[in-house]
Amino acid sequence: MSISVVAQPMTEYLFSLYGTPVRYITSSSRLAAPVEELLRHFRRDAIEEATPLTVRFHAVQDRAEIPLTLSPAARHLASGTDVAAEGRPADDLPYVVSQDGGRLLIDFAEAGLFMIEGAYGRAEGYLLKPERMPTNLIEYLFHLTLVELLRRRELYTIHATALEWQGRGILIPGNSGRGKTTSFISLLRAGYRYVSDDHPLIRDAGGHVELLPFPIKINVTEETIAFFPELRHAPEHVLQRQPGFHKRGFYAEELYRTEIGACCRPAVVLFPKVVDAPQSHLERLPKTRALQLVLPQALLVYDQEVARREFHVWAKLVQQADCYRLHFGRDLLDLPQLITPLLEQVHS
Amino acid sequence: MSRSHQSHSPDTASVPIIDSVMLDRTVLLPSPDVQGTNMDGETVLLDLSSGRYYTLNRVGSVIWEHCTGHHTISDIQAVLCDRFDVASERALDDLVTLVTQLTQEGLLQQERR
Repeated sequence: MSISVVAQPMTEYLFSLYGTPVRYITSSSRLAAPVEELLRHFRRDAIEEATPLTVRFHAVQDRAEIPLTLSPAARHLASGTDVAAEGRPADDLPYVVSQDGGRLLIDFAEAGLFMIEGAYGRAEGYLLKPERMPTNLIEYLFHLTLVELLRRRELYTIHATALEWQGRGILIPGNSGRGKTTSFISLLRAGYRYVSDDHPLIRDAGGHVELLPFPIKINVTEETIAFFPELRHAPEHVLQRQPGFHKRGFYAEELYRTEIGACCRPAVVLFPKVVDAPQSHLERLPKTRALQLVLPQALLVYDQEVARREFHVWAKLVQQADCYRLHFGRDLLDLPQLITPLLEQVHS
Repeated sequence: MSRSHQSHSPDTASVPIIDSVMLDRTVLLPSPDVQGTNMDGETVLLDLSSGRYYTLNRVGSVIWEHCTGHHTISDIQAVLCDRFDVASERALDDLVTLVTQLTQEGLLQQERR
């Protein structure tokens, strides 16, 4: 079977994230759909600012089609496999990050090549054979590109779940397998409002930092599903299987009487750790320890000036919130009884 | 992307690189790539050139607080004796050990005046 390549018109999709306009341009419907899904709460028909963040994604069939090259002066920054994308199709995705003048180049080998020009608020992504990629991987690649641009507009993200309860924010950072999503669902079903399942936004509001909703589909493992009766009994069209991805996904509002939370001050930060014990308990953490635990989930040092600002935002978060290690026992459905009193003590 | 940071406590043994006869003429100052934040008496340092971060305990934090280019090593030694009620020799040993480690990590610079 031969594949003929026909040039497609570029389509522009507009979004606004808390006053930061974003323009996404692609000619590929395969590359458009996951981004529209990811940013569905931020869609706009028009944006007013003359200099929006601009991301262009291109579908290519061969690396030879990618018009990006590294200059001899390019500096290697990092490489490895993408362990921070745990639970996503990007597991074990090799990457090499290079700084080439004002350009940051991220080479994801068989997935494609990405160039981010932070100072100009723009990025280009060349995705190899995207028709073979799981949509979650496309979503992930867009998200990491967007995040790198957003942090230059002083909007930061952290690998965490987040909820809001009566104007008070709760943040649960951590790697997969630590009980992050399970504790999140336990609080969600108790009436806490949804902020984000994976990467809420944070910004410095002057006297304090602010937690901003980034609502996305909630992805759960079969193990997590087994804990909650409403997930166990959810119909297939609500708790959807996702091709090429081992987690199933659902929208919070389709299973719970919840709504998207308000922008709020993070009052409590929980670092969960699953323990083999009948009851969960909390251990208050020193601020320095909490910051040590936050930084690996949040901060990437590519641009020193950006990282300098971001470091102080995470420090401010830890200063303003009460931080605990959550030793997460088998009483996971009772978690709200442990957490709500903490939030009740905090003045909103 | 994976976060490349590692947490370090500068507490391993190292060879002093401070001239003991110049203690009252050597001032200390942070490297320009280092950011620090003090929390409840302890300090977290981030080295922007490497992405590594470090923690300092209360004694280390007092030392770091005085690494502004205005205090000599002898000045800082006196501060430690005053704040922590330790013998002068012990304060100097601890100070030299930490300063040596921070210097070797590229977090601290020394200047003669």
